[in-house]
Amino acid sequence: MANTKEMKEVLFGPVFANNPIALQVLGICSALAVTSSLKNALIMSIALTLVTAFSSLFISMIRNHIPSSVRIIVQMTIIASLVIVVDQVLQAVVYSTAKELSTFIGLIITNCIVMGRAEAYAMKSPPTMSFLDGIGNGLGYSVVLLTVGFVRELFGAGTLFGAEILPLVSDGGWYRPMGLLIMPFSSFFLVGIFIWILRIYKKDQVEAKA
Amino acid sequence: MSSNNESIGKTLGVVVGLCLVCAIVVSFASVQLRPLQQANKIKDVQRNILTAAGFKDIENVEETFKANIESRVIDMKTGEFVDVDPLSFDFESTKYDAERSFALEKENDLAGIQRMTYNSPVYLVKGDGSDVSTVILPIQGYGLWGIMFGFLAMDEDGQTIKAIQFFKHKETAGLGGEIENPKWTATWEGKQLPIDIVKGTAGNNEHKIDGLSGATLTSNGVDNTIDFWTSEKGFGPFLAKVRKGALN
Repeated sequence: MANTKEMKEVLFGPVFANNPIALQVLGICSALAVTSSLKNALIMSIALTLVTAFSSLFISMIRNHIPSSVRIIVQMTIIASLVIVVDQVLQAVVYSTAKELSTFIGLIITNCIVMGRAEAYAMKSPPTMSFLDGIGNGLGYSVVLLTVGFVRELFGAGTLFGAEILPLVSDGGWYRPMGLLIMPFSSFFLVGIFIWILRIYKKDQVEAKA
Repeated sequence: MSSNNESIGKTLGVVVGLCLVCAIVVSFASVQLRPLQQANKIKDVQRNILTAAGFKDIENVEETFKANIESRVIDMKTGEFVDVDPLSFDFESTKYDAERSFALEKENDLAGIQRMTYNSPVYLVKGDGSDVSTVILPIQGYGLWGIMFGFLAMDEDGQTIKAIQFFKHKETAGLGGEIENPKWTATWEGKQLPIDIVKGTAGNNEHKIDGLSGATLTSNGVDNTIDFWTSEKGFGPFLAKVRKGALN
């Protein structure tokens, strides 16, 4: 059934070829909100990847027993439980970051990537493949988030992971930070540029002109 | 999918079973992790109190706190010390405890906090001897997006500000969020009550502080917060006692 080639495709396909943010345009909101610093983006990426992977795994395990009339609610229950667990773990382990991310972790529940993969893939596929699909889509999300977070923190605040890279004018350095990048909407531009560059290399992603 | 999946019995069974499993998992995680979270929360508050007290590069938060800070509780109306456990206060939730707090009328609620507690913890920083050199007051007030929680460190004269430190807020990162920026909080050192936050003209005036650029509403919120908590409705009675030398 599941051979290595298929596994690879499921796992790495979503990173560039079928990126959940860039091509499927899912989960944009959190990409705007949590990318002002790289550390937040990283923690958010890990949290989302784990939730997507495990929710896909569990949903796939019981997929033959889920009545179709309540399937969305069943998916939501599993996803919500996992998100609460992730939130609790973050509060216990990385308290200060959990404090900053607070609401956005909760909002993973409504992140379209998680629901989308559960409904589109995990409901029809065996557990192992669903798990890999979850990890793959999480990675795709992470690539965009980390790229955006990298640009925003570096040029918006002159730091990376909180460590000073470009000394700011206000601290006696030479770099004048771009205030625009601190604002959440700047992510729209960055995600747009990301999609643009991606489509230069992957021409098949360009929509046909009407 | 087999058709018997759609029967009422199966549907109910799946939903109830799933909810049970999920509930058990969630409660287990919550109960197991609570001690760690609680410890983190207390540590976070302690770290912020220590920062407000001027400690830098703290290695062991708990020990430094124990050695240097005395937590006491005061009655807000009289400013007297009362015998209540300081650890029983949670800066966010205690003000919703009907027995320990009251609602503020709108015209009295300058800081936009709606409710406040009858008592409040204060933190006394002991200097080299056993004399109290600084007193740290917990403050909170509405900024632009939500309540900002912080500590105001006052000199033993009850008049001079030593430091201000916000530890929880929802202000915009990079704009209002700069209330956490050490460069800005450093401008508070040595200022005298009452404080006025102004636009870029504070200079060396001992009652004025430069507002944060791009964050007028947050700056107004901080201004109101300080005004409220240093007034008669806030720590005024306590500060009056401090000015008379009640600490040492």
